[in-house]
Amino acid sequence: MSIELKNVSYLYSPGTAFEMRALENINLTIPENQFIGLIGHTGSGKSTLIQLFNGLLRPTGGTVHYNGKNIWDEGFSRKALRGQVGLVFQYPEYQLFEVDVLKDVCFGPKNQGLDPAAAEKRAREALEHVGVPEEIYDRSPFELSGGQKKRVAIAGVLAMDPRILILDEPTAGLDPGGRDEILEQIASLHEKRGITIVLVSHSMEDIARYVQRIVVLDGGRVAFDDTPRRVFSHYRELEKMGLAAPQITYVMHDLKDRGLPVDVEALTVEEAKNSILRALKMPKKEVRP
Amino acid sequence: MIRDITLGQYYPAESILHRLDPRTKFIGTLLFVISLFLFHTFPGYAVATVFLAAMIALSRVPVSFMFRGLKAIFVILLITVAFNMFLTPGRVLWQLGFLKLTYEGLMQAGRMAIRLIYLVVGSSIMTLTTTPNQLTDGLEDLMRPLKRVHVPVHEIAMMMSIALRFIPILMEETDKIMKAQIARGADFETGNIFQKARGLVPLLVPLFISAFRRANDLAMAMEARCYHGGEGRTQMKPLRYRWRDFVAYGVTLVYLAVSIVFRVKGI
Repeated sequence: MSIELKNVSYLYSPGTAFEMRALENINLTIPENQFIGLIGHTGSGKSTLIQLFNGLLRPTGGTVHYNGKNIWDEGFSRKALRGQVGLVFQYPEYQLFEVDVLKDVCFGPKNQGLDPAAAEKRAREALEHVGVPEEIYDRSPFELSGGQKKRVAIAGVLAMDPRILILDEPTAGLDPGGRDEILEQIASLHEKRGITIVLVSHSMEDIARYVQRIVVLDGGRVAFDDTPRRVFSHYRELEKMGLAAPQITYVMHDLKDRGLPVDVEALTVEEAKNSILRALKMPKKEVRP
Repeated sequence: MIRDITLGQYYPAESILHRLDPRTKFIGTLLFVISLFLFHTFPGYAVATVFLAAMIALSRVPVSFMFRGLKAIFVILLITVAFNMFLTPGRVLWQLGFLKLTYEGLMQAGRMAIRLIYLVVGSSIMTLTTTPNQLTDGLEDLMRPLKRVHVPVHEIAMMMSIALRFIPILMEETDKIMKAQIARGADFETGNIFQKARGLVPLLVPLFISAFRRANDLAMAMEARCYHGGEGRTQMKPLRYRWRDFVAYGVTLVYLAVSIVFRVKGI
């Protein structure tokens, strides 16, 4: 269960005066059971790239393979592919249309050809996974709050039981509390269901502690593709791309520059604290927060 | 995908016609249409042809664009020509059953065809060289006298420009929602007409909701900036006649005078 992109490029409106190169020579493998962060500044090609993953866009150059099969070969069912590679767009709440929450979430599984009972079972599981309480299943999706709409929309894709789930800025427009909650739930999906998650974001801070791998896009090319620690070590280059490493990276680099032997690759505040304490040779218990 | 559809016909180019005031172009087009109905002989149409060809050359818009509008009236044109050819009484040239092709009918059909084609091409010149917004501004200004008889001119113009402004936004929105539903396994392409119509529900419901939401937001934003209708409102780019507009009016009036003379003299 993997997606493989080889020398993929994408041009908008090729052959016209409005031609625009969105992606250039992308080589990328999305393997099974990985939590990946896809990061880039506005206009770096993130949204275009994820639409290539499930065959919504056809690359103008290069190939996209799913499980070794070219998805643009004749006879390849891209409809089936979209059930396997679930894509949640930015502001997914604008895709809701059904009379109640449960029916809306059933839309995807029904399109896959499941009978109503099986579709409903999947829908209930998915809603539970994203933390939508059962008492609102029969409410109109338009009456819900922004955060709940978003969850319902994510459940709508999750109910298709994808092997790979791609989420485009799932936290856009949420307050910090709602943001952390959604990210936690996505992380638990990865753990419990063992599905691959591709999380698109423009903020390193948000995703640093969840993902195993970060792919940085810049101007339609892959600039970095590595573990978060190694990617953040390029924080000066990231800045030139209009991105920033987590704040803690800056703190740790500053401390090191001033002679304290700390671990500059610390990802979270917790890790950083321990590293600083070690560097100061202070036993943990003596320090009060 | 759907975004490739362009609105209106505006063809961006640098030409004297593009720079003219929209009011000049609108009135000019109107006078040209009147002249088409004043001319009724082929020498007259020759004058109209010269005038039209000169305008096409001045506009710097590719000729193929000019004739694109004809596609829309092709059927009407065909019917008009056929009816005139066969149903005008006169000297019979050829007969098939009750259908009589007459000399007079042939001439009449030719005149009608020329009028219709020139009418469409003439108004295409205006729409190709004027942005929809300019056109709305021009219309608002020209319809201003109607305010006396309580026609809400400003409101009509405002509605037109808002509608025009929202078309590309809604197009983009359609594209987005379509993709989101395709990602959920929706199918907009296969099936018979009823299945297709039902398949549109997941697209149309979110689209309507978003249109209402946007309308609401816009109304609120206008309210917040104290919009209160047209009374005492000024424009950011007020329309002002320049020397080239007077020249254009002059040329058009001379042309119209020629057509009147042709009519009076019976040429």
